[in-house]
Amino acid sequence: MNSLADNTIMLKVKAGDLDKMALLFERYHRPLYGFLFHMTYQRETSEDLVQQVFYKMLKYRETFTATGEFVHWMYSIARNTLKDQGKSLKQRVKHENTDDLAERLSGGLTPEEHLEKKQAKLGLYKAMEKLSDSHREVLTLCKFQELKYQEIAQILDISEIAVKTRAHRAMQELKSIYENTER
Amino acid sequence: MKCEQYEELFAGWLNNELKPAEKEMLEQHLTGCPACRAELASMQQLWAMMDEVEVPEPSANMKTDFSAMLNDFKTAEANKKGTTTGIKEQLSWLWDWKQKWSLAFNLALIAISFGCGYLVFNLAGNSKQDQQMAALTSQVHELKQTMMLALLENPSASERMRGVSYTGEIKHADKEVIDALLSTLNNDPNVNVRLSTLEALTHLASHPEVRAGLVQSITLQDSPLMQSAIADVMLKLQERRSVKSFRELLKQKNLDHGVRDKIKETITQLI
Ligand SMILES: [Zn+2]
Repeated sequence: MNSLADNTIMLKVKAGDLDKMALLFERYHRPLYGFLFHMTYQRETSEDLVQQVFYKMLKYRETFTATGEFVHWMYSIARNTLKDQGKSLKQRVKHENTDDLAERLSGGLTPEEHLEKKQAKLGLYKAMEKLSDSHREVLTLCKFQELKYQEIAQILDISEIAVKTRAHRAMQELKSIYENTER
Repeated sequence: MKCEQYEELFAGWLNNELKPAEKEMLEQHLTGCPACRAELASMQQLWAMMDEVEVPEPSANMKTDFSAMLNDFKTAEANKKGTTTGIKEQLSWLWDWKQKWSLAFNLALIAISFGCGYLVFNLAGNSKQDQQMAALTSQVHELKQTMMLALLENPSASERMRGVSYTGEIKHADKEVIDALLSTLNNDPNVNVRLSTLEALTHLASHPEVRAGLVQSITLQDSPLMQSAIADVMLKLQERRSVKSFRELLKQKNLDHGVRDKIKETITQLI
């Protein structure tokens, strides 16, 4: 299994074979970038944050115990890095052209694509952006990182039931923002 | 059971994690509850739509940046290990053959002095060696400093960030380092780099010129993030001279509302 190998690799890094981190970078820099992107909506910042997360995993490799999965540890570090970087990262987003970004993000819009569908996707993107951080976080981990609730529970350090409740609330919030956004 | 008690099951349904019994329980409720049916249907629709939201591709230089970071980290680690196992090993890479010869000469001298039984000679030899060690340590120090100053000029934000983080390893920050950091604090285009620089400078706050530079920087920052971070630092350092600069900042009409409140609060706490 992939995850078993992840832990084995990380234990090698911990034992001093630092080059092995390149394998984990190869495996996880994209999903990690995806997570950070959804949490900041800034490309350059997300790339920098990915580097910082990998730097921290190297620096704090002693704290990896392999009692849990490597990915969970990685996302916990990513969350802390986000916290350190300042809560108001989002403030800056407002200065960027979100329409332009949303356009790019909602996937390459083919000419055949129905206008209505395109607008729906943009609407969803904007609604996601407006979600509270903790709601967006749980949905991102679930949808884009394809993690199970039980795994998210470990990352967020809360119970699985709390994760499910939060996911449900997040969907309620998303639905209400989406339905009340002018399109 | 009330509708709210099915919330957990809703979430499980969406992520396809329900056990057969749970699924049956939920379906039973849905049959008799049009409100929940409608709610779950629209959630399901959004849930599916989210799959089409894509993340932009990370740029190609991410990998290069990672390799550079890894290499530097390895070098730093190797050096760190050296400090604990013996300064000689750590510095050995810096020694060219001349220095090796001169060390050999020194050792020979010590041997001779022992041979002759002259303690005075021995001591003289040792202190000479100490001097040499000190010279080498300062060479390493200079090397780190040069590397850090060069990194601060790098076009990649993550490299500049790394440069800033090196300041932690420089024991005695001299004027050149402080000036470079202050200039980064005021001019770097990337807010994350500026934030890291602020943090690094906070650790150097025992230098009066750092404090003065931080106070001066207040009115130069236009990002709300930075303005609010500087306010935190000034409070932490209890730097009363900052009050004047903050009052200056409050005169700016386009100042972020949140920041305005925070600065007013900071001023009250400082005076
Ligand atoms: Zn119901």
